Amino acid sequence: MMRKVYVHARCELMPGDPEPDYRSLFSVMEARRMGRLLKRAVWTSAEALKAAGIVVPEAVVIGTDFGCIENSESFLKALKGLEDAPLRPTHFMQSTHNTIASLIAIRLGCHGYNATYSHRGRSFESALQDAATQIALGDIDNALVGWFDEMTPNLSESLLSQGIEPKEHALAVVLSANPEGALDILSF
Amino acid sequence: METVIHVTGAGVVSAVGCGQGETLDALRRGRSGIAPVRYLRTEEKAFPVGEVKLSDAEMAARCGAPQDLSRTSLMGILALEEALAQAGLKDLAGVPLVGGTTVGGMDLTERIFPAYSPLHDCGASTDAIAAHFGGAPWATTLSTACSSAANAVIFGANLIRSGQAEIVAVGGSESLSDFHLHGFGSLMILDTAPCRPFDATRAGLNLGEGAAFLILESEASRKRRGAASLAVLSGFGNACDAFHQTASSENGEGAFLAMQKALKMAGLRPEDIDYVNAHGTGTPNNDASESAALRRVFGEQMPPVSSTKAFTGHTTSASGSIEAVFCLLALQEGFIPANLNCIMPYRGGDASCPAPTLKHILCNAFGFGGNDSSLLFSR
Repeated sequence: MMRKVYVHARCELMPGDPEPDYRSLFSVMEARRMGRLLKRAVWTSAEALKAAGIVVPEAVVIGTDFGCIENSESFLKALKGLEDAPLRPTHFMQSTHNTIASLIAIRLGCHGYNATYSHRGRSFESALQDAATQIALGDIDNALVGWFDEMTPNLSESLLSQGIEPKEHALAVVLSANPEGALDILSF
Repeated sequence: METVIHVTGAGVVSAVGCGQGETLDALRRGRSGIAPVRYLRTEEKAFPVGEVKLSDAEMAARCGAPQDLSRTSLMGILALEEALAQAGLKDLAGVPLVGGTTVGGMDLTERIFPAYSPLHDCGASTDAIAAHFGGAPWATTLSTACSSAANAVIFGANLIRSGQAEIVAVGGSESLSDFHLHGFGSLMILDTAPCRPFDATRAGLNLGEGAAFLILESEASRKRRGAASLAVLSGFGNACDAFHQTASSENGEGAFLAMQKALKMAGLRPEDIDYVNAHGTGTPNNDASESAALRRVFGEQMPPVSSTKAFTGHTTSASGSIEAVFCLLALQEGFIPANLNCIMPYRGGDASCPAPTLKHILCNAFGFGGNDSSLLFSR
């Protein structure tokens, strides 16, 4: 009764990879407003969708182990008076974990299912499970699933002290119910 | 929906009380929990807030948890304890936990930053709740801003529909923090007076805090365990407004789609809905956008609509499950919670009245980034 779920495209930027040429995606103004994490997220998503031949996916489901940490820290620094800077609403707006999935949906004009998981090492697995479950149930036919994280020195230090390896992520995959042209079948 | 999903347990903590009993009493009497800041460590005292009227130490003592947990986890434990007990469960053995939060342990980190609390992140917050109940087979956390808990309910329901689980604990928890009080302040959407959802003079929201969890269960599991059904989750919808990072669209596209999906899944028509518990934050933008969406769904046949934010403040990530519990109480007790502080209804929201025939209730939760979700509970 449950349908099979296939992986159709996969695009990943490794932490050491050079930044791609974003000029095809963003204006100079846009690029300035967006941190590296958001730019990497939009770029890998666009590449994965292009490879899968999908313009607007039926769902956007993102995993982020620790969220948009750089903006959280900028806002915290201003709040605690650690930096002589005003509290900037942009930092707060872009500190919420779902800002990545939201930005992708806005850029794609995607009104479908949209969710963000943030549960340490389980975040991406949960995002995949959510999207795959809906495809298997027949609620949707395809989904963009991503895994995006950035690291700061302060967070890295905290994670290392807990025995967790600090890791950045920039990975986008496209799942679909269509077996044609699939790279792989997803078991979940 | 082809699969019947029962709610067999519920637990709630908010500014109006700890547990369903205190909550019901406050909702029936129209007693708001919004007041000046008392517990939150902040210099910002200009804005009234909906605090849970217990210190961290008092919460920890109540549930026997360590005091150094985040307030988010402590409130989550209190709420989940009540939900498990009502469902006749003593722990989370065999029960996956799907939480929802954004703030997580920010209340701890903001005291020591630039250092981080090891309990800072959303996952750590949910894991601490699970650990208190002996650990769950697995846990995860939705973080879609103010619709996080509603989306936890939706994911949990899909786990049951797809046969990946027979029983799940779902909900959300969010404490106030200096970080998000200033964050919402920087967006200029906080009111210095008590919030007035759907009132013509509404000027912003009051932040609140709290937690609520539901136990969702398949028909087979419920029968086998002999658990009573409080209500059925008959439909749900999640859609994205895809308009702006923090503002809602004029025509309420995301909200409209979320409600429409929930109705379609339940196989119900708009006229079958007896009450809508609106997201209704009290900001000019949200209430206008949500009203537009409601008009698109219901047309001239508008059911009673009320926002309970003037009772609790906006409990952000937890609002979806907290207000779901309010809806369960309304269904069981046959009343419609009042839309407090709505003197000049902007769209006829005020609806404090007995309604013994309530059968189907829509419960809306919308978040920044256009993350709009709607839950449909039926008796």
